[in-house]
Amino acid sequence: MVDSTVAERLLGEEEELRAQVYGLLARLLAAPPDAALLGFLAGLGERETEFGRALLALAERARAAEVEAVADEYHELFVGVGRGELLPYASYYLTGFLYERPLAELRSDLRQLGVARAEGNKEPEDHIASLCEVMAGLVRGAFGDGSLELQRRFFMRHLEPWAGRFFQDLERAQAARFYAPVGSLGRLFVDIERAAFAMAG
Amino acid sequence: MRREKRASGQGRREFLKLAGLGAVVGTVAAVAGERPAEAAGSAGAPASGYRLTEHVKKAYELARF
Repeated sequence: MVDSTVAERLLGEEEELRAQVYGLLARLLAAPPDAALLGFLAGLGERETEFGRALLALAERARAAEVEAVADEYHELFVGVGRGELLPYASYYLTGFLYERPLAELRSDLRQLGVARAEGNKEPEDHIASLCEVMAGLVRGAFGDGSLELQRRFFMRHLEPWAGRFFQDLERAQAARFYAPVGSLGRLFVDIERAAFAMAG
Repeated sequence: MRREKRASGQGRREFLKLAGLGAVVGTVAAVAGERPAEAAGSAGAPASGYRLTEHVKKAYELARF
């Protein structure tokens, strides 16, 4: 009994870190960072792991970055004139078109979880940032039952099939400077999540 | 059965630790201003009413097509 309580609490720390990574990715992919966030990112990273080294690379870019330049870069990557260099939507990656079946399936799952778009927001929910945001919420139990099984199901259905490819595209995107290591971070994290879910048995 | 489950939970935890996720510690405070909205404003409806956050909404507005 005591053992499992301790185990759960320790498990909690790792889970909280996962929620933080999802939260960070959601934040950076939803909008460009402000000066405060750049300043924070500048101190991240460690050399021991590939993930830590990706954070070091991001820290280096963050130190060299200017808020306005990163905002321009964000615009070029995700907004553009007409469209950005990348279209960070599940439906686009899985079918080649926006608003297709993957979005319908996502909407059905979100309804069951009680997640909705903000009022007046008519854009699709399958944007990578909102999927990361939903994962952070699932990990923290902000909605759903907080179970690993629910997290795994959502991840396998809505992120695993395409998010790795998207992050790889981001790593290699022409316009990506600050965002290239964000791509590395995302790609590595998707791999980590996939492997970790497989271990949960 | 129970034992196996715990063992696999430990394996997963160990794996996550070794993967280096600890390098993001503190991120939660840094993104706090734009932190994902908490669930359900109203008590008693724990699984309903979640709204994708303003910053995501903004991105959607920007990404209009």
